[in-house]
Amino acid sequence: MKNYFAKNKYTALLLILLAAVLLFFTVTQGSKFWSASMLSGMCMQFPEFGMITLGLMFCFISGNIDMSFVALGDFAAIIAVKYIVAHTNDTMSNGAIGGVIFVGILISVLIGIFGGFINGILVTMLNIPPVMATIAMSLVWQGFSTALTRGDAVTGLPMLYSEVGHSNVLGFIPFPLFIFIIGFVIAAFLLKCTTYGEKLYMIGTNAKAAKFSAINTKFLIILTFIICAVYSNLGCMIMVSTMSSAKADYGSSYLMRCILILVLAGVLPDGGYGKIMDVLFAIVIVQIISSGVNMFPQINTYYASLIWGGLLLIVLILSTKMTGDGFFAKKAVKKAAAANKN
Amino acid sequence: MSEYLLEMTGICKSFAGVHALDHVNFAVRPGSVICLAGENGCGKSTLVKIISGVYTKDEGEVTFEGHKIDKITPAEATKLGIQVIYQDLSIFPNLTVMENLAINSEITAGQKVVNRKRWEKTAREALSKIGYDIDLYAKMGDLSVADKQLVAICRALLFNAKLIIMDEPTTALTKKEVDALFKTVRQLKEKNIAIMFISHKTEEIFEISDDVCIMRNGKNVYAGKTADLTREDFTYHMTGRKLTNDKFVPKNVSKEPVLEVKDLSLKGAYENVSFELRKGEILGITGLLGSGRTELALSLFGLMKPKSGEIRLNGKSATISSPMEAQRLKIGYVPEDRLTEGLCLRQPIADNITLSSLKRLSGKFGILNHKDIYKDAQIWVDKFSIATDDPHKYASTLSGGNQQKIVLSKWLSNDLDVLILNGPTVGVDVGAKQDIHQLVHELANDGLAVIIISDDLSEVVQNCNRVIVMKDGHISGEIGSDDITEDNILEIIR
Amino acid sequence: MNKSMLKRMTHRTEFWIFIVLIIMCLLIQAISGGQLFEPTTVVTILRSMIVDGMFAMVCLVIMVSGGFDLSFPAIAALAYSLSTTICLNNGWCETNPIPGFILAVIIGAVLGMLNGWIIAYFKLNTMIVTLGTQTFFLGISMGLLQLKEITSTLPKSFKALGTSYLFEVYNSRGLRSTMSSLFILFVILVIITSFVLNKTMFGRALYAIGGNEVSAERAGYNVRRTKFILYTVAGAVSGFIGMIRVCLASQSIPKALVGKEMNIIPAVILGGASIFGGEGSVFGTVCAISIITVVSNSMLLIGIDTYWQDLFNGAVILVGITVSALQAMRRKG
Repeated sequence: MKNYFAKNKYTALLLILLAAVLLFFTVTQGSKFWSASMLSGMCMQFPEFGMITLGLMFCFISGNIDMSFVALGDFAAIIAVKYIVAHTNDTMSNGAIGGVIFVGILISVLIGIFGGFINGILVTMLNIPPVMATIAMSLVWQGFSTALTRGDAVTGLPMLYSEVGHSNVLGFIPFPLFIFIIGFVIAAFLLKCTTYGEKLYMIGTNAKAAKFSAINTKFLIILTFIICAVYSNLGCMIMVSTMSSAKADYGSSYLMRCILILVLAGVLPDGGYGKIMDVLFAIVIVQIISSGVNMFPQINTYYASLIWGGLLLIVLILSTKMTGDGFFAKKAVKKAAAANKN
Repeated sequence: MSEYLLEMTGICKSFAGVHALDHVNFAVRPGSVICLAGENGCGKSTLVKIISGVYTKDEGEVTFEGHKIDKITPAEATKLGIQVIYQDLSIFPNLTVMENLAINSEITAGQKVVNRKRWEKTAREALSKIGYDIDLYAKMGDLSVADKQLVAICRALLFNAKLIIMDEPTTALTKKEVDALFKTVRQLKEKNIAIMFISHKTEEIFEISDDVCIMRNGKNVYAGKTADLTREDFTYHMTGRKLTNDKFVPKNVSKEPVLEVKDLSLKGAYENVSFELRKGEILGITGLLGSGRTELALSLFGLMKPKSGEIRLNGKSATISSPMEAQRLKIGYVPEDRLTEGLCLRQPIADNITLSSLKRLSGKFGILNHKDIYKDAQIWVDKFSIATDDPHKYASTLSGGNQQKIVLSKWLSNDLDVLILNGPTVGVDVGAKQDIHQLVHELANDGLAVIIISDDLSEVVQNCNRVIVMKDGHISGEIGSDDITEDNILEIIR
Repeated sequence: MNKSMLKRMTHRTEFWIFIVLIIMCLLIQAISGGQLFEPTTVVTILRSMIVDGMFAMVCLVIMVSGGFDLSFPAIAALAYSLSTTICLNNGWCETNPIPGFILAVIIGAVLGMLNGWIIAYFKLNTMIVTLGTQTFFLGISMGLLQLKEITSTLPKSFKALGTSYLFEVYNSRGLRSTMSSLFILFVILVIITSFVLNKTMFGRALYAIGGNEVSAERAGYNVRRTKFILYTVAGAVSGFIGMIRVCLASQSIPKALVGKEMNIIPAVILGGASIFGGEGSVFGTVCAISIITVVSNSMLLIGIDTYWQDLFNGAVILVGITVSALQAMRRKG
């Protein structure tokens, strides 16, 4: 254990931050913070943006960025909800409705695959910088959503959808959390135990060298955009269950929040680096802050922006001290220099 | 006044307790060319940075034109007449030639507003210093490396430079361009400008320099006239060991060619290229930059599609559409630019070595055990004696030679028939160069077919049993074993 | 020499953007049955270009230096909503709008300084930093200060400035349109930006830093100071633009500019700026902004529902960057 933290200093630091955050809210809010409803509330909320963050993590590791996932996710959710609403009515059995919902979610995933594929094509085949390509696609998807809904929310979902969303698996795991756990395990497996994960880190570090090493970089980057979009679309479908509707601008704050989480976990869009455990801890930290802050009655929702923005800036500034020119790196250089001398 | 323009005695500089420079003495005579030579990491660049004021010395004395100087800042160095032309040339690719020439002196003069006429005048003045002619309104990024270098030199001359330091100026130049550069250097010498030339290429040093200063491990081991030195002495001082130059003699060449290229053409790159390659051979391909040699290699590796012609592997016709296909056909390629094309620097050594053989190391469905990566990599680390104690360390921690060994082992851990090496020892110091050559000889004798693409003629002469010379996209000559000498090759190139 | 100049011109993105602008105008003119070039339409389009065009200038200058700023609309929003709130509470600016503008410029400059400090001194990814400051500034205005929307109570001088006009025009059906006098400010900003970028050493420093930061430092530029000044000035100008928006819209809504950057940045890139820095021109940017404004303003003229406007905007930008990417690939061969 001690060895693990010696090797993963950053993980240790995140855990200290986590403990500090927990301590802060325990002191200020007391037992209210540790209530069962609080805990289950958290477990209901973080899978939404947790799934999206996992997807975006793949993009970041490969040295790309996806700015389109919110717009694409909303578009897919709108289509899926429209489909479900059109194909269900009050007289149908739960089983039949479940089937329609399943098809709806499948539609959202398929749209995700398509959207990710387009992002990938723009980036790999046309050499458009990923930021630009995905901002443009974001405008397009948002345009579709607005045109389809005239800016209104799509409502009328069968009750079953949010019932399932609020149900527990095995009696105690909230359904969204269950989805997140599956998503997390798959992501961890992909990154740690497959050649895809290994290649992803190498592409993120130097895509050209990877190409010269007989690695199909174009295919893998397209695949990565697809994975990212599928994860975020599933996150958006979880969001639909909490909102009971779909709208063109739901989740627009998630872009900021997901990037914050990844930066907090030390994952930058420069590519080549990212530990999934760190990302998990960062997700949990952000959720705890979000829930804890909501317990202060005098704070409105926009206060959260202040905290997220401020936190991102502080983490960024501190991270220059940790890596790069900061004290960790300097210490490492000194150590290496001393070792060379001996 | 002393006979020296710049004299440095007993210079010491250490970083975090490690001596980068240990009582180094260094002196430059006015109007002479001095070469500062040494292997990577010997302290050359630290010394240059002390002269240019980027670093401050810990100990020692610096005298410039007879005046003792205690502390040099970059601005002061410029005022004194010291100009450094860095390896990356410090140019602005997005600006025009005129702006690149004039911008530094405009900043130094503290100008606030742009006056095109004055800029143009300054730029013309700069060009006239060496009588160089180029379109002032061309975009810098569109120029060739050689032109960029001349622009950088012109820019340095604007500051009434007395000493120009050139950091490895010939690395990206072709033979012809090097000749042109040396002509300019001699021209500057006549104007009583001293040139300090940093290099590790033996031939160039003997061609251009009057004096030489050789450094090893932070100390200077030789300083004196170049003429007093033999090439063997020079190499000995550089590396600290005696080197042997074994010429490659093929031992078992197969009867049937493993690779046949017939009338291969790609418009604008190369045309009607035909050759054969047998197992156990080392074929050299040489020619000037832009002769089509790199494009030909890229086509054999599936990165550039030829327009017409045929490639046959082991007697069968093959289309190489991608590096993945090339790998399947047992062709490996060690690229020209190690840092951008060969390595993922900020990843472990082991992951770099196994990058092309992940398929072999993984199970069904691409499932991978990271322990296998390190086990496999350790084999190559031991085999090629890559200087590291732990393959978990980043590839960036190694020297150029060891990095090149990583790129080589990346391909050799695959089952190969043909290995193409493009500039295998560019930026590699003499000792490691020797190791790599030895290794390639062994590989060929074990039955690998090797192609070496290089414009380092001594490398081609020493390592190849057959040489193809390319010129303007065509094969302009082929030389067999006994006739391979630098003179013979040069005759065809020119 | 003449031939090479022509060649150099046709190689520039600005040239093609200009051609596209003209072709598109002619096309819309034809489809809409001659409505586009009616004086009222032209005046309306020019009027709606003021704010976007000015923002584009800010965005362009930052892009030239190699930065990627997402925060300029947030700076503008915080600056104008805070400034109008202060003016309202103190009863300022009933007759003279200048104190409000000065206040907004100062606030903008302070906020820009925060950007500049983080970006120049910690050398961080500008996109992520400005994403952070953008959210932070929104949090300040809506969370910390809880600034409210100001509509009917807006100080009179702002309204007066917003409705003042240079001249009025009538179309064939007798409809009246006015040319806002604030358009002059847009023209002035375009001229200043063009002058700074092309004729001052500061402007050339931005191109130099965008082209090669290390070289710029070696050449003797103080890169840190230049960047710090750049972001501070950009913040100040953003605050100023924010006030112009308040005047034109006759209201101050703290949330109004959320997401604006996503429309401006692509337009600036469409106009020839590179996200890697060192490229871009005022002319190209103005052309690109004109294209976007003409497209979104002529939807009704050619009989398309306004809800499709976002989609058309997105499509224009997607097509634009795709075409320029294809062109770049072809040039490379």
